[in-house]
Amino acid sequence: MSAGTPFTGTVSTGTLSTGTSSARPHPMSRAVVLGGGLAGVLAAAVLAGHADEVVLVEGDRYPSGPRPRRGLPQSHHSHVLVAGGARALDALLPGTVDALLANGAHLRGLPGDALIFSADGWFRRLRTDAHLISCTRGLLDQVVRRRALGGGDVEVWEDTRALGLTGDEARITGVSVSRRGAPPETVRADLVVDATGRRSHAPRWLAGVGAGDIEEVSVATGLAYATRLYQAPGDLAAAIPAIMLHPGTAKGQPARGATLFPVEDGRWIVTLTGTRGGEPPTDEQGFTAFARSLRHPIVADLMAEATPLGAVWPYRDTVNRRRFFERARLPAGFAVVGDAAVAVNPIHSHGMSVAALGALRLRDELARHGIGPSLFAGLQAALAAEAERSWRMAIEQDGQRVTARATARIGERAGEQVTEGVAERAGGDDAPRREPNAFEREIRTRLAQAKLSSPRLAAAFFGVQTLICDDTATDRSEIARVLTGRPEPLLTGEEAIGQHPALAAWLRLRFAAATG
Amino acid sequence: MSLRISEAVIWQETGEGISLYHTETGDFHSLNDTGSRIWRLVASDGEREPVMFKLSRDFAGSNSAMSRRIVTDVEEFIGAMIEQGLIEEVPAEEPAVKEESLS
Ligand SMILES: Cc1cc2nc3c(=O)[nH]c(=O)nc-3n(C[C@H](O)[C@H](O)[C@H](O)COP(=O)(O)OP(=O)(O)OC[C@H]3O[C@@H](n4cnc5c(N)ncnc54)[C@H](O)[C@@H]3O)c2cc1C
Repeated sequence: MSAGTPFTGTVSTGTLSTGTSSARPHPMSRAVVLGGGLAGVLAAAVLAGHADEVVLVEGDRYPSGPRPRRGLPQSHHSHVLVAGGARALDALLPGTVDALLANGAHLRGLPGDALIFSADGWFRRLRTDAHLISCTRGLLDQVVRRRALGGGDVEVWEDTRALGLTGDEARITGVSVSRRGAPPETVRADLVVDATGRRSHAPRWLAGVGAGDIEEVSVATGLAYATRLYQAPGDLAAAIPAIMLHPGTAKGQPARGATLFPVEDGRWIVTLTGTRGGEPPTDEQGFTAFARSLRHPIVADLMAEATPLGAVWPYRDTVNRRRFFERARLPAGFAVVGDAAVAVNPIHSHGMSVAALGALRLRDELARHGIGPSLFAGLQAALAAEAERSWRMAIEQDGQRVTARATARIGERAGEQVTEGVAERAGGDDAPRREPNAFEREIRTRLAQAKLSSPRLAAAFFGVQTLICDDTATDRSEIARVLTGRPEPLLTGEEAIGQHPALAAWLRLRFAAATG
Repeated sequence: MSLRISEAVIWQETGEGISLYHTETGDFHSLNDTGSRIWRLVASDGEREPVMFKLSRDFAGSNSAMSRRIVTDVEEFIGAMIEQGLIEEVPAEEPAVKEESLS
């Protein structure tokens, strides 16, 4: 394989047509997408409208049904699609959300159809535009794959591993792959898109063709997941709200929490999470005991009523990691999408949505430029911009803003020296953090508790969390109102559950049965 | 022009001086002793002149060089507060003081 060779004829193509035809004035354009997870499948579907040929290279085999698969270890764990991602997915593949719902996925409004015990207290049921779609990752992928790849415009090579790039630091000309363990072969491409996920080797592949280093930032989370599926009791299976028990605020303690979401086929998926020292166990007893030890027993109570289906699955690679491909001088003809570029702590439930938003952006960029030099110039920056919000949110988890200090010093009567008056505003990224004073703590607590009951603040909060608006959408006059008015009382656990009639009725029955 | 504390500001006296929260920017500020003193005078008097007058009387006495310096410093501080949207300039006839406090 030699750099810059347009087409070497070394491709083993299956049904793919391989080269330029002398009858055509322009060579056939070919895009190759590496990795057939959600980001890769969506990118391939988008590219199918712009390249003559699109090849999707997937190292794994897709399961025949809506099941987890080896190449996607996270597919054993809860995957909810937040509103921003659901909208993007429907814009890319119209009708997908309806198809998911028709196949048993559940839509839950946030916080209207959810029982959420945040660090600040229980949320009231408030109607907002924010929501999530809950189903197994297997079902989501299957529905999306059918709609994205079903038309036959994308050639899918399963059991095929991407090994590296071909070309040089100025231009990627193709990719080296190995099909079902066969010797490497080279596939010519006008555009190679890396979508191989968290474990992508793109920086190494780029180094292999002489391109420069890729800046990488990792922010550890220390978070471990443990997940199990349950067959839910029939009457409660689909009537359940989305349940989220967040860690409390106790300092110096591991942050431990749980979620329980309804998924298709009358099942629930329970994920327990804990940071270092408080990791959820994966043995039967330990898993149950962990759920029982949380700030509220509701998840443990529901687990006790349901039938476990299969093993408890662990997951630990939850680091926030971003590779700044957009800052490097990338060779033309190469782009990176999905987790391969920006992978955030899964607790935020953003990865799939960012993949869909990225694919939408890819579609816009392709519509504007087609596949060619003008596309390559700004493509990676455009894709990175779609992940920016999620990345920022993930790494600023505590959301604390640096306190600005305003200082005034004027001439002291006793002293001879007159000091310059200073009105300085320390702030921004370089300002030293200091402990918040009592006033700041009170304001933060008041605001955090106000969003539990203020429809406007909850809408802004969940709008940001679900990627349907940014934080400038927060209604600032509502902030002033809640800070100067009388605070709403916090709900007790019983009151919070009482907002969900089916759940409350079930708990009453359970209590009655237990007390005889 | 009169001065008034912005309606977007919630503020409180604390042991360390005055602490402010700007509800529109989400920024917190804390004022040192002197800054707090200026702030209180703006809140109570709502005009530049009495603020300048009281501060230079207290700090400079009859030292006119010091007095000029103080006026410059106070102007600078108030200017920074205006820039950050913490204090507003309003036409003299408008009510000059509006206090928001935590209930
Ligand atoms: C525990 C956990 C929970 C999560 N929960 C949520 C959630 O609730 N909501 C949400 O939106 N996101 C969630 N995410 C994130 C989500 O899984 C990803 O963001 C999403 O899968 C999109 O990733 P991707 O397509 O970029 O990569 P992946 O989904 O990881 O896909 C990469 C694909 O590339 C293939 N591959 C890898 N290497 C090669 C190679 N060399 N050659 C060929 N193929 C290769 C793999 O087999 C795989 O199919 C979660 C993640 C984790 C880890």
